[in-house]
Amino acid sequence: MNLNIEEGRYIILGSIDGLLATLGIIVGVSVTSASNPVIVSAAFGGAIALALTNGLGSYLAESTIEHGKLAVTEKSLLRDLSNTYVESLSRRKIMKDAVFSGAASFLGSLVPISPYLLSVGSVIVSVALSLISLVALGIYAGYISKQSYIVSVIKMVGLGALIIVAVQLLRISHLIQ
Amino acid sequence: MSQIKRLVLDVLKPHEPTMIEVASAIGDIQDVDGVNMSLYEVDQQTENVKITVEGSDIDYDIVLRTIENLGAVVHSVDEIIAGKKIVEEEETLHDRG
Repeated sequence: MNLNIEEGRYIILGSIDGLLATLGIIVGVSVTSASNPVIVSAAFGGAIALALTNGLGSYLAESTIEHGKLAVTEKSLLRDLSNTYVESLSRRKIMKDAVFSGAASFLGSLVPISPYLLSVGSVIVSVALSLISLVALGIYAGYISKQSYIVSVIKMVGLGALIIVAVQLLRISHLIQ
Repeated sequence: MSQIKRLVLDVLKPHEPTMIEVASAIGDIQDVDGVNMSLYEVDQQTENVKITVEGSDIDYDIVLRTIENLGAVVHSVDEIIAGKKIVEEEETLHDRG
């Protein structure tokens, strides 16, 4: 599949969102319950909610932007572009971006959940898998942006690690109480 | 009615679809033998192009519908050749002056 830069944006956004938010849920729930089914249930609930909100959010945002762009073009052409090839291109873009955003989010969520599905579940394994995924995302980001792969990976993993540390601190503070 | 052999149109189009897509779409119309498209002005939102269409029996309504469906606008018909054969414009003393 030939992906362009626009699709890359939603793949990176959605994946990071799904990955780190679901990891946060797993870390948070694991404080109160070590039961696999409880963790998987909470994480999947979060994954589905994230996928839907990201998909719908992208749909609404892209609709707004694309209709705005169409309006500007219509003003320049002094004509209505409804039911033309130009409008159909816009509609296709909106749907594609929404699907990419939601799907990337759900697939990103599966990364930290997967150890629990394979009965090797632990927070450490989920964190490790998430960091590996962030490395892969960093390489992808470097490929799209034509910038240094190392810098992209460091940025991706660094920011992801910050979030993981913040969530872990929350977990530790709860344990201390 | 006479058969239209050549049409030269002044068209304003958005950047998308590209000139290649527009030319291909017009070239696919029945009885159109060839299309020439040239760009003569560009701004942030639009492109001004001259489209020359030649064929054995061009249906202007279909050409117009195709262009409009692609989001473009025909500003004017700058040249039209109709009849049994192609007749080129003759230079007169007035033009030479």
